[in-house]
Amino acid sequence: MNPALTQRFPGIRLGLIGGACLVLLSLIGMVEAFNQREIISDVISMGQTLLLLTAVFIGYLAAKRGRERGQGLVFGAGITAGLIMAGMLALLVLLGHAINMRQVFINASPALFQILIFQQEELWAGIGLLMLAGVLIGLSAALLCLLPHWLRRVITTGLCSVAVVGLLQDLIAPIFSAWDPLASLIELIFPGNGLSISGAVGLLIVVAALSAFWSFKGQAVQTRIQALPPQSRRGLNLAALLAGVIVLLVIPQVLGLFLSEVMTIVGLYVLLGLGLNIVVGFAGLLDLGYVAFFAIGSYTMAILTSPELGFFDWNFWQALPLAILFGVLAGVILGVPVLKMRGDYLAIATLGFGEIIRIMVLSDFLRPWLGGAQGIGKIPKAEIAGFEFATPQEIYYLILAGCALVGFISWRLRDSRLGRAWMAVREDEDVAQAMGINLVATKLLAFATGAGFSALSGAIFATKLGSVYPHSFNVMISINILCVIIVGGMGSMPGVAVGALALVGLPELLREFADYRLLVYGAALMAMMLLRPEGLWPEATRQRELHEEESVVRASKLAEGTAEPRS
Amino acid sequence: MAVVTITNLTKQFGGLVAIENLDIEVKEQSIHSVIGPNGAGKTTLFNCITGFYRPEIGDIRLDDHSLVGLMPDQIVRHGIARTYQNIRLFPDLTAMENILVGLHSHLRSGYFGIVLGLPATRKEEKKASEEALRLLKFVNLAGKGDLLAKNLPYGNQRRLEIARALATRPKVLCLDEPAAGMNPKESQDLMDFIRHLRDALGITILLIEHQMRVVMGISEKVTVLDYGKKIAEGTPAEVQCNPQVIEAYLGRGSATQPCAA
Repeated sequence: MNPALTQRFPGIRLGLIGGACLVLLSLIGMVEAFNQREIISDVISMGQTLLLLTAVFIGYLAAKRGRERGQGLVFGAGITAGLIMAGMLALLVLLGHAINMRQVFINASPALFQILIFQQEELWAGIGLLMLAGVLIGLSAALLCLLPHWLRRVITTGLCSVAVVGLLQDLIAPIFSAWDPLASLIELIFPGNGLSISGAVGLLIVVAALSAFWSFKGQAVQTRIQALPPQSRRGLNLAALLAGVIVLLVIPQVLGLFLSEVMTIVGLYVLLGLGLNIVVGFAGLLDLGYVAFFAIGSYTMAILTSPELGFFDWNFWQALPLAILFGVLAGVILGVPVLKMRGDYLAIATLGFGEIIRIMVLSDFLRPWLGGAQGIGKIPKAEIAGFEFATPQEIYYLILAGCALVGFISWRLRDSRLGRAWMAVREDEDVAQAMGINLVATKLLAFATGAGFSALSGAIFATKLGSVYPHSFNVMISINILCVIIVGGMGSMPGVAVGALALVGLPELLREFADYRLLVYGAALMAMMLLRPEGLWPEATRQRELHEEESVVRASKLAEGTAEPRS
Repeated sequence: MAVVTITNLTKQFGGLVAIENLDIEVKEQSIHSVIGPNGAGKTTLFNCITGFYRPEIGDIRLDDHSLVGLMPDQIVRHGIARTYQNIRLFPDLTAMENILVGLHSHLRSGYFGIVLGLPATRKEEKKASEEALRLLKFVNLAGKGDLLAKNLPYGNQRRLEIARALATRPKVLCLDEPAAGMNPKESQDLMDFIRHLRDALGITILLIEHQMRVVMGISEKVTVLDYGKKIAEGTPAEVQCNPQVIEAYLGRGSATQPCAA
């Protein structure tokens, strides 16, 4: 490509990139698969939303690039990008009509092309419409670029929330229609598949108004909260915490069976994530064989409780401590040989360990004890005083209790001598040692703690499913958990919950995503690395009681007039 | 009385002899400098003392304990702390946390004490943060405890690194080129600070430094290394006049001028 040309018309390069993305999204079948779900009834489907969002985003980037070259180029660049993107899709449609591409691209179906040309009967009318859409997208992207920052934010927030609400209609509609006063409102907003037009507009206005309010008053509210005396601020934090706990406790009653099931899966990933967060996030030891401890917890639980094997006939609570203990022991056993390894080498060695456990479980040699490929079934449910944790709603509470326990332990450890030692090892192993930190003990404790949490999660997983199979413990689980903590924010505990909801919860809700799960993971990871490397909910630079003490000291000094105020 | 005694120390890397038959005695509460051209083996000496390298021959004693063969974390617990030539703080931890890591070996709370939040643990944490705040103040970083170490300006990072080393409550503090990259005013402040350190805390200071102004200004004894061997030792004035030293620094033929002192 001629560099001078792209210099003069900054929309060209981005337009080509965007067009390639759109063609790819279409050819891998995402557009067609997502088209079943309407975002706004009879107006726009999820597939179209996907294309539209991509196109507007690229158009916006192009317009921004154009504005850097001079005011006049904003519209030029935006519209050029829009036209090129539309043109590439049009070429795809024309090509599809001329020759049969389905030998190679099985998703290049007539249905896809109909979606791309807005279901027009006439091919050329559709193409014309597509090009027009390209121009309009470029135009609106350029306008978006010219708006003041706050207004752009208000508009994008509003539009994105409409998209999200439309996306999550299966989640939102059933929950709220259970409550009488809201039911009629919900019926108004969700008449059938997707939002109604009035519902979408209303939502847009409400969210935009809230967002506008926040962009003007948010700063003031935040400073006012900051200015509160520590006592009432602590009260406020406590109230927020209490509200969060109540919401967590009520959730399964509101969500119903299917969504509670989703929540139990998310909960298990939170448990696993909190454990891996200690190993990777705190201590910086990249462990890719983390699923092994999950398997060990599950299988210990199965062997000790299942009547199918007939070795033991323990109940859940008797077996649980042993399951965790075995996990911890396995953590130490893995830890010892890899103590001296760092970075990539550690990752490969732990990856191997994970596979060893899975293959052992799968082996015929150990079949009499571990069940081989058939797995172990008939694992009893957990039970307290006659109350059985059987349905997803009940198991949710079991997992919630586990998460609370593990979260509490993580939190205590993080702010302790041990947590600091882990973080020092993560930052610089040699210096940590030179500061008096025993590397062997510190690393083994990290491995053991993480493994214990993982085994706890595995034990609950076994009783939840009622059976365990080797294929539940493949390497993808380790990778998924790692993704959860990277997307959530390394070392951040709320980040684990957010990451699990986003990467595990959402795909369960959006059935259409199932086939594209790994693609979305990859894209999400890359986007995170580029746009927000610290994660969705990064660990704040912790301001602990120390800070308050320090400010007290400063205040008293100020009173004496000995210290100058900090700027 | 000697606090650190190095006898007959030899450290080789393959065929390269980095330190050869070195004997050094560091007097208690003295400021003892090690100088020499680049590659003379100064930092290797520090690495041997603090346990990162294991010397092939020879002994390093702190008071009556031999340090050879001990791990770095054991040596720091015996009372030798160090800073690094290129500052090596924990960049993503706050200044406070950096110092608290230095206090690590003086804290006793165990796993269960921490998880259960036992009173002893809480008390210990409180005392530790008080000490860390005191140290921050000591190195003139009061009020900067919540900043990430990587966000501190260069001079502050140097001082934070010293504070972190002091947190281990050392008998001997090894400073590896603390004045690197400092202007004359800053190195003057640093000299005053090092002297103050020694006087206020009663510790021994072992110093590697390239800025001769600093070395000659504060050292009580100077050891000169060249190609891993000791070529001179004495007071700053004695060393400055030593022809071998001048030759090592400036090349053969430079040592013809008689010394003014």
